[in-house]
Amino acid sequence: MNNVTSICFKPFIVPSQILCPKTSFRKFPLTIPRSSLQDSQPPNSTNQQQLNLSVLRFTLGIPGLNESYLPRWIGYGFGSLLLLNHFLGSDSATVTSAQLSTEVLGLSLASFSIALPYLGKFLKGAQPVDEKIIPDGTEQIFVMSADVVNGLKEDLAWASYVLLRNTNAIAILIFIQGEICARGYWNIPDDTSKEILPGWFKKKIENASLYDLKDTLYFPQDADSEFQDLVPVGTRCLLIQPLSQVSNDSATGLQKPTGFILLASTTRYAFSNKDRAWIAAAANKFRGNSSSKVEDL
Amino acid sequence: MEFYRNALECSEAVKSFSDQACAIAGYELRLTSSNSKLWLLIGGKLSADSYVANGGCKVRSFPITQGTLSLIVYLLDRQCALIAVVSFNFHCFCSSQSRADLLTLGLAVTNILTGLVWLSIRPKSISVVNPQGVECKRLCTTLPEVARSELLWAWKSLSDATCCRSLVIVYDSSCILQIGFAAESSSEDGQAASVDTNKLTQGSVYQGVMKSGAQSYLANLSLYPGKSELPFLPSNTQAVILQPLGDKGIAIIGGDTIRGFTASDQAWITYIGEKMDSTLAKYVTHHPLTSQD
Repeated sequence: MNNVTSICFKPFIVPSQILCPKTSFRKFPLTIPRSSLQDSQPPNSTNQQQLNLSVLRFTLGIPGLNESYLPRWIGYGFGSLLLLNHFLGSDSATVTSAQLSTEVLGLSLASFSIALPYLGKFLKGAQPVDEKIIPDGTEQIFVMSADVVNGLKEDLAWASYVLLRNTNAIAILIFIQGEICARGYWNIPDDTSKEILPGWFKKKIENASLYDLKDTLYFPQDADSEFQDLVPVGTRCLLIQPLSQVSNDSATGLQKPTGFILLASTTRYAFSNKDRAWIAAAANKFRGNSSSKVEDL
Repeated sequence: MEFYRNALECSEAVKSFSDQACAIAGYELRLTSSNSKLWLLIGGKLSADSYVANGGCKVRSFPITQGTLSLIVYLLDRQCALIAVVSFNFHCFCSSQSRADLLTLGLAVTNILTGLVWLSIRPKSISVVNPQGVECKRLCTTLPEVARSELLWAWKSLSDATCCRSLVIVYDSSCILQIGFAAESSSEDGQAASVDTNKLTQGSVYQGVMKSGAQSYLANLSLYPGKSELPFLPSNTQAVILQPLGDKGIAIIGGDTIRGFTASDQAWITYIGEKMDSTLAKYVTHHPLTSQD
């Protein structure tokens, strides 16, 4: 048995069922902000009147500019102006206590404004993630081990395609029963032929010691240092979903790990709870026999 | 090294102790291993994204309370010190104090406006409606094991990841899967109503979906007159997705929440539909289907 070589402390999010109903999101050109009271119910109804605040949402109309980061820029700008005003705008002898208290208040507000877009990202109904960022130096590949049986080949091709299309992942690596399927943008060495790539990936997996993973590993902010060699450069978020197979000995119902699905993304917090639920569902495809009693039609 | 080896050996005792300690602090601790590596996973409700996603209203009102409190503090401070509140006139840029005042007021207003924008994008909370009907699990007998396991995998994925509670698959003019909740049969007590495929395939809902070849999402089923063509679904099914499987079949997915299927769910259902179509096309043409009774 190998010696334990490291202990790793990383954040892991407890999965929970969250329903995300659709919301409509309308944009208006820059207007003077105002709110209007709208009677959505008859006057004798006991429901509260809803403020129509959607007029406060605006866009400057510049493509590529993300308005949700506006509080952050205002925070930086006004905060730096406050500091400039304190050091350059007045002599230190003439600074009044009132000014100091205002500046303290202003700086705390500025730091709060800077943090706001970070919190706003996680709210339900917030803007969806932008386009995927492809890191430099990567190449788009699609390789599969030669020894895969035909039925499994089709499943692997479908699963890798769907996971890349429907999630924020830019690269996927499926390792099942000793065979690999890699798709997406990977840092492969120049001039390598397709035949040796499966072996190349297997060596990396061996170095990372991921053979009998039992639990899902999710690194939302930073890929762990153990995996720097394995994942594409520029990966910010990593999810490794284990694949298990129901053993033929149904009496014990044990599940033995047979591989994993590795998804890498260049954005932080790339996989929401819903994404992780679907990734787990896709992983179940490779589970093997699902024996359950059914009535016959 | 010594510590790590002991941690492996007495992992149960360590685990239960650390579980209790972390439960108090609001974190969850898990030990998992892979080959030679021992992973200690710490997570829980205090991590940023789950706290904010579950915090809802409290988080949304943060900026407003922060901005309003700051304004109140500023005014009170000026009142107590008997200094005039900054006024917007020509001289307001002359003294450094009034410049600082203006900047602070600008920041407070930014916070309040951001908070109002966050409130405006709050999704309406919609409750789950439990389907009224009986559970059933019916699958065509003549399908090979590969196709059967794929259909059952599709049902498990849908019921785990979405608000789906009923699934009916009709392929080549016969019903090959009816699983989850179904309306109760009028003739037999306690049994699920069976799918009348002739009536379904002649109905306008089916014809419309097959003609367009695209997924159809009925987000609020009670508003659609076509509801009468789906009598086998529980009567209080809230949302339905009709996914064509190639040009020979259809998957009818019933959910328990109005607008309960997200755009991500719809995309996944489209791809699962394509996969099922390619599997069923291989096997259904070679095996005759049994008729229902």
